[in-house]
Amino acid sequence: MRILIVEDDAETCAFIARGLTESGHVVVTASDGRDGLFHATDGSFDVLIIDRMVPAIDGLSLVKMLRTGQCATPVLMLTAMGGIDDRVEGLEAGADDYLVKPFAFSELAARIQALARRPVLQADPARLSLGDIELDFARRLVRRAGRKVLLQPREFLLLAELMRNPGRIVTRTMLLERVWDLDFEPKTNIVETHLSRLRAKLNAGFDEDAIETVRGAGYRVRGN
Amino acid sequence: MRFTGRSTFGLAALISVVLTLGTLAIGRVAYQITHHAIEQQLDHRIDTETRALLVEPGADRSAAIGAAIRRRLGAPIENDLDYLLVDRNGTRIAGDLDPAMKLVPGYEEFFRSKDGLVGQAMTTRLSDGALLVVRADRAGLRTIDRRLRALFDWSIGAMLLLGLGGAWTLSALTRARLRRMDRTALAIIKGDLSQRMPVSGSGNEFDRLATTLNQMLDRIAALMLNLRQVSSDIAHDLRTPLTRLRHRLEEAARGEEADRAASIEAAIGQANELLEIFSALLRISEVEGLGVRKHFRTVDLSTTLTDFAETYRPDLEQRGDRFDVDVEPGIEISGDRRLLIQLVSNLLDNALHHTPPGTHVRLSARRVAEGIRLSVADNGPGIPPEARARLFERFSRGDASRSSSGHGLGLALVSAIVTAHHGTVTLSDGPGFEIVALVGPAGLEPAT
Repeated sequence: MRILIVEDDAETCAFIARGLTESGHVVVTASDGRDGLFHATDGSFDVLIIDRMVPAIDGLSLVKMLRTGQCATPVLMLTAMGGIDDRVEGLEAGADDYLVKPFAFSELAARIQALARRPVLQADPARLSLGDIELDFARRLVRRAGRKVLLQPREFLLLAELMRNPGRIVTRTMLLERVWDLDFEPKTNIVETHLSRLRAKLNAGFDEDAIETVRGAGYRVRGN
Repeated sequence: MRFTGRSTFGLAALISVVLTLGTLAIGRVAYQITHHAIEQQLDHRIDTETRALLVEPGADRSAAIGAAIRRRLGAPIENDLDYLLVDRNGTRIAGDLDPAMKLVPGYEEFFRSKDGLVGQAMTTRLSDGALLVVRADRAGLRTIDRRLRALFDWSIGAMLLLGLGGAWTLSALTRARLRRMDRTALAIIKGDLSQRMPVSGSGNEFDRLATTLNQMLDRIAALMLNLRQVSSDIAHDLRTPLTRLRHRLEEAARGEEADRAASIEAAIGQANELLEIFSALLRISEVEGLGVRKHFRTVDLSTTLTDFAETYRPDLEQRGDRFDVDVEPGIEISGDRRLLIQLVSNLLDNALHHTPPGTHVRLSARRVAEGIRLSVADNGPGIPPEARARLFERFSRGDASRSSSGHGLGLALVSAIVTAHHGTVTLSDGPGFEIVALVGPAGLEPAT
């Protein structure tokens, strides 16, 4: 993938660039918003990583300018800690995802994967099927190998989020954000608890584990 | 003219000048009234006297009146009236008046005579063509006029003097009192926060102001103390994970290749713990700053709570706890949904992490007379009495041993969130542990 990083802090920029290059991506960096805009508009990138606080043109304005300029490249916005409404503002400006610094590199990598493969239209199809698992959104039904699996509403949402990202890692934080709409980490491991219940229900009577735990990174359902 | 910007002296002096001018106006009116009354009295007198003369008996009117005039002038008693009677040719028949002006029948306010005196006179034409003049001396009127004027001059002068003197004294006193406050304030600015405004105990407005200022200073001092406490708590609480982080990194630096990865992973864990403390602190101060209120929306509290409570049910029930959710339906509140969820999440985390398995945990929300009462209660061991006072402060922990997990920031955030939603948070007195958030009517108004 070709990735543009717009970040003014040289060390953070180098950290991200190094990690991404090692994972086989092609990385271009820009240290301010104007530079970022110049590179971003050539349209050859798969993902843009934009820091919220960059000189010349700030991150929010940069995303707004790109979106009004018909640039649809997925944007991952980065921000320093704080701001309760930062995430909402970022998404409203046109960013596709939002990540609070400091973050583990695995978190960034997972989100970039999710962004790049994301279909242009986010609307859920009526049903999703992956391997032997079938998810019916309209009737809120789940079947594995044709056998009905009874899930709690939250477990259903959890499985749906994993199935929207076939073969890609979904992190704990991503699940907290998307399944629970939480912007903080509760002390209680609600993700783990719900996942283990979901897993128990899905795997009952099957040998193969439907959900894979990627140690230190997140969870994944196998792709087709 | 702006009155509010003036000094005390300027203001008091202005008031005294205005009062003096007012008195002057009143004096002027009183003087006029008195003057007129006396003039009227004189007119009345000469009128009566003229009538008395006109009814003197006798066939020859002029002769009879002339005789009467002579009689009156010859009488030994003091009479301040002057008379003149002339026949139709202008020849004097009787009287002591030498007119310095032409005689015209009727009233004459200023009748001058040749001796230079001026008086109030009435001239009457008799039936035989003779003219009768009766004049009253205005000397009395003049004396009264003079005395009144002198009285006004002196009293107004005295008033002005007293007024200005009073203004100066008042301003000097005010200045002296304010100077004492000023000195105290300067001492506080220089850093002595223990200084307090002088209070004389008289209960006057200066005392009341001083008392209010002292209360304000007490509050600031308490906040400063709290801030200092928080800073030292932060320093203290960060030292432990930082020390561990350092140890882990030292181990990694000198350790065997095989152990290195484990040490580094542990160091990352320590760093994450530090970052968690930071973001919790940042969030508390952000919520305390009340800026979050501008994003408040109408939140369906009942649905939010019941939905979110289910997230905790598996963990609680896994421990063999009983978890009751008792939420009155249809409660709406003006607020931030995520913050409200975090509030409940922190309280449920507490119940989960600070009680033994098999505890009874209860989340309830209902409308009460004062607004909305939200509570999370458990029948666990509760907290020691000495921990109650600082429970909602940063880095306070219910268990003095500090052994259990958490950094003592959860309830501080709960308190900040409730305050942002115009509510109050308290720890119930009963057994076990119950946190009650009471959100008043201000928090229920629809968000704008």
